[in-house]
Amino acid sequence: MTEIDALRRAIREADPQLSRFDPLPRIISLDDFDRGMCGWTQLVGNYEDTLDAMLPGYAQHSHAMLSTLPNWDFGSHGGIDGSYALKIATRAKKGAQNVAIKRLTFRKPGPIRLEAYFTFKPEATDLQLSETDIRSFGFLYDLQIGDRSGPGDRVMPHLRFLNAQDGAHVQKWQFKRRTTPIKPIGQAGKTITHYHLAPDDWEDLPGGEQRLCYNEIPTKVNWHYLRFDFDLGAMQATRFQVNDRVFAMDGFDCIRIPAMKNLWCMLNLAFFAETDTDKRAFAYLDSVCLSGEF
Amino acid sequence: MLPENLTAVVARNESWTGESATEPYEAGWAREAIVFVRALKEPTGPLPKARIEISADGMHWCAEGSEFALPATKDAVSFQRVTHFGNFLRVAASLPAGGEITVLVTLHLKA
Repeated sequence: MTEIDALRRAIREADPQLSRFDPLPRIISLDDFDRGMCGWTQLVGNYEDTLDAMLPGYAQHSHAMLSTLPNWDFGSHGGIDGSYALKIATRAKKGAQNVAIKRLTFRKPGPIRLEAYFTFKPEATDLQLSETDIRSFGFLYDLQIGDRSGPGDRVMPHLRFLNAQDGAHVQKWQFKRRTTPIKPIGQAGKTITHYHLAPDDWEDLPGGEQRLCYNEIPTKVNWHYLRFDFDLGAMQATRFQVNDRVFAMDGFDCIRIPAMKNLWCMLNLAFFAETDTDKRAFAYLDSVCLSGEF
Repeated sequence: MLPENLTAVVARNESWTGESATEPYEAGWAREAIVFVRALKEPTGPLPKARIEISADGMHWCAEGSEFALPATKDAVSFQRVTHFGNFLRVAASLPAGGEITVLVTLHLKA
């Protein structure tokens, strides 16, 4: 560690906002939802001429919320150090998904680090533990090389915690290498679409079984730490950690599709929730820190 | 810092028939809201008034008391101002048999 690294670390560790993160030297964004939506918005699907052209997977998406995690039995839960968290809520239909996204570009194809504090819970419509009602919580990047960097790809690393499937409490991390076939939208030849969150083609992350803190009734939640390191130069994941577990990423890969003509240097990050029953799934983000080495 | 100000699209290209409502939306941070409803297609059949509903938990709903006309033609827009709504907010309508409207519903919220 150089002197500047040590100084940077000391300053960050003395700052309560940053002390619970381990960012790379440059902080690209530090989103604490006590300050508002912080640039997180709805993932709308592509269309041309009519919204009917939007794939159903995207049409179901709606806007994330600033939530105090209110519960009918004990009231607002709140965040780690403030009142609000970002809430991603699905519809109350088995398999429903919702996504919140932040859209950036990058200025150096080097290492980046995503850190977040998250939790999830189903809508507490039953006085039952309901631990198998949420299918998954996950996150993804949507990345593309720079316009002069090619040849190369659009690269979409995906990871999800498969909590439950058809009533089984599965609890393991999975990744994805395949998306749905690319489909043109409209007549102008400018827009295409594919549904990268389709329920098919998830693969188990080797050694990715993990039991999280779910708590003991359908309303109590506990916050979890997540860190995902990715190299934009090699377009490869380098490290993945959730709480006390660090997962080997040797067996991990991303969705890789041809580069698209309007997406150069794209750096999108997104979180999603998916329900396994006819009950809303709620994923919450207390805070998200994106950092890079540049 | 400027107060939070959010445009949230809570229903997009959704076809409403029978008992219809937007998904529950938490906006306890907001002091005021305006709900806009735009008809994306030509509505058919009789159109009832839409109503604002509020909830303590997002599961059990009460009529807040505000009612407003749904837009009667394609691309027409109607709106309703709301204040003092607590946390959960939604727009609901009970369409009679034969009534259908495809809506874009937007919440404009201010702290």
